[in-house]
Amino acid sequence: MEFNENQTQVADIAEPVAPVTTPELINGSHAVIQSLIAEGVETIFGYPGGAIMPVYDAIYDYQEQVNHILVRHEQGAAHAAEGFARITGQVGVCLVTSGPGATNLVTGIADAIIDSTPMVCIVGQVASHLLGTDAFQETDVMGVTIPITKWNYQITNADEIPEIIAKAFYIAKSGRPGPVLLDITKDAQQKLMTKPFVHKKCEKLISYHPRLSPKEDQVVAAAKLINEAKKPFLFFGHGVQIAGAEQELIQLLEKTDIPAASTLLGLSSVSVDHPNYVGWLGMHGNYGTNVLTNQCDLIIAVGMRFDDRVTGDLSRYAKQAKVVHIEIDPAEIDKIVKADAPVVGDAKKALELLIPLLKENDHKAWRAEFDKFAQIEDEKITQPELAPTTEKIKMAEVIRTLSDKTKGEAVIVADVGQHQMMTARYYQFKKPNSFITSGGLGTMGYALPASFGAKVGAPDREVVAIIGDGCFQMTIQELGTIAQSGLPVKIIILNNNFLGMVRQWQQLFHQKRYSFVELQNPDFITIAKGFGIDGHTCGAREDLNDSLDKMLASDKPYLLEVLVEKEENVFPMVPTGACVADIRLE
Amino acid sequence: MTAYTICVFTENTIGILNKITTILTRRRINIDSLTVSETERKGISRFTIVIHHESREAVEKLVRQIRKVIEVLAVFGYLNEDIAYNEIAMFKISTPIGAKPLDIETINKTHKAWVVYWHLTYVIIQKTGTEEEIFEFFDYIKPHGILEFVRSGRVAVSKSPQTLVDYLPEAEWEYYQ
Repeated sequence: MEFNENQTQVADIAEPVAPVTTPELINGSHAVIQSLIAEGVETIFGYPGGAIMPVYDAIYDYQEQVNHILVRHEQGAAHAAEGFARITGQVGVCLVTSGPGATNLVTGIADAIIDSTPMVCIVGQVASHLLGTDAFQETDVMGVTIPITKWNYQITNADEIPEIIAKAFYIAKSGRPGPVLLDITKDAQQKLMTKPFVHKKCEKLISYHPRLSPKEDQVVAAAKLINEAKKPFLFFGHGVQIAGAEQELIQLLEKTDIPAASTLLGLSSVSVDHPNYVGWLGMHGNYGTNVLTNQCDLIIAVGMRFDDRVTGDLSRYAKQAKVVHIEIDPAEIDKIVKADAPVVGDAKKALELLIPLLKENDHKAWRAEFDKFAQIEDEKITQPELAPTTEKIKMAEVIRTLSDKTKGEAVIVADVGQHQMMTARYYQFKKPNSFITSGGLGTMGYALPASFGAKVGAPDREVVAIIGDGCFQMTIQELGTIAQSGLPVKIIILNNNFLGMVRQWQQLFHQKRYSFVELQNPDFITIAKGFGIDGHTCGAREDLNDSLDKMLASDKPYLLEVLVEKEENVFPMVPTGACVADIRLE
Repeated sequence: MTAYTICVFTENTIGILNKITTILTRRRINIDSLTVSETERKGISRFTIVIHHESREAVEKLVRQIRKVIEVLAVFGYLNEDIAYNEIAMFKISTPIGAKPLDIETINKTHKAWVVYWHLTYVIIQKTGTEEEIFEFFDYIKPHGILEFVRSGRVAVSKSPQTLVDYLPEAEWEYYQ
């Protein structure tokens, strides 16, 4: 009753052309939904509750325009919105209630900021007269989310809603993308706006000016270094995919013949078949890419931020090399690695300006050095893992078989741990925008909801989640969301009955003192069936092919559990604190 | 440890202080002093934050992180030599009947401090100056008995000839000039 008093039904919704207006006065909740529609939002991941009920009442009237997906836990909403945002490039939207609803989002928001994922979280809040009274389900969500949002704002006045939502979308999407949280008090949701609803898209802010086009002198300086380099090495990160700069990157590689390596989140931006692609970087990246980082004379870093998992020991990281750093966030320049030629701007714009200044070149001899290392890695690690003599299935076999069966063109969503690293190593990405994983935060439980969000965003693509048995149990309830939607998300559990990556570290660095890493797991297939999702377990190598075929052939969600070797380790490995050149093969 | 003065210009909205201090807290940087007030431009606040740090590079990075807060319009980091700066302090000094009288001439002429309130048993003296000058006066006046003492945060103006108009909002890179 409390929340119905001021509601107005709106019969006609204006076309989503800016600015959108309504002839009659509407309440805050309707303004929220109309603004979302005006921003082009078609999908909302959410979970209702007391302080957001007015918005949920309004959304009831807009089911034709907005597809609201009811998750099973707010963390699931956040990760689904991330998966959606990563695959579509659009802003993912979450709608949750105050207090626990909001705090359950926190992990997902923290994940989104560190992986530069655009997201708008709309969170209910107790009525403004109750703020600060320890009211039921009151949490200082503004305070909690300041360090993990690109921007947050509390709305206590219905009149502010369209302008603030427009601003939220602009901030989330522009520059280096990130999550924005709007905390809307219940009275602001309920009250009638005092002026007609007008939603005008935000295009500019007085205090925030992301630089898209780099300064010319920076591009010229970068081009000079690249043209002079004898052993240039290009690193590409998530920024390439965010900017949609894959084509430009390939043009650059083909014109200059520079070898290129990916970060974890850069994977799939360049096809593994491309002759200039030499692998990926970092702790479990390839042998040659890591070793030769310390032998190149120039690093060209495009849309990446030199994460510590990429650099290893910084005091021994690429000291011999000059650095060109193309990056949209000025705070990333010189943050970890000093840039000799910083280029602040959007990766696509920067590469467009850079390419005409670059000389055509031939780096065949330099690229051949990578091949030598690749051969050693192939003999020592890759081949034994792909054609093992052990009885139990190895993770690598599963991933590579999946890769072959999907022609390297599926959207792969990996969770966090050994299976994630194995996926990055053995899936042969051939199509851009195909790999989604939690890179910076390493959020276990990410993949199940994120794969669902990705499938919502790209229903025509095959989406396969690759999840460990530990991760799966962190967001297992989202099987319910997937089942209710009916979307054919394919889920592979690589089950080794261990928290594998932690176990690997305990084996290598803690004298095999396996401290709380062994899991007594439930029967995952029975659980899936309980949710109405079909599945089966594969425990023998000879069944692997058929098992994957069966999973891929299903037009419904499907769970394939593969029992893999229990104590397998991921190599190569740059142990924490070691230098990239000291990468271990065993 | 070197003193750095960081001047931050922001939109004047709720919670900005929190958004800025959390950037320092996360990096375990303690704030020596903090002054916030509205500038000559309506709706724009100026933060003057004084910190000590051994690494100029770290302070430069900090400045860039502060610039990322959406409501922040501009940030400048200064060394002491780059700025004119002052603080204000107030001393409540005990003056009971029969006590040694205050030497107002020295207080005024040597220390440039002023009595701003008289009471039967105490006076309040206001002293403007640098931290060093204030503590010089502190030592001088201490024998009289300090009942209460308060020091403001630093306020600072850059010695560069630029005005606010010159650097807002485009000059986010011009610090340490």
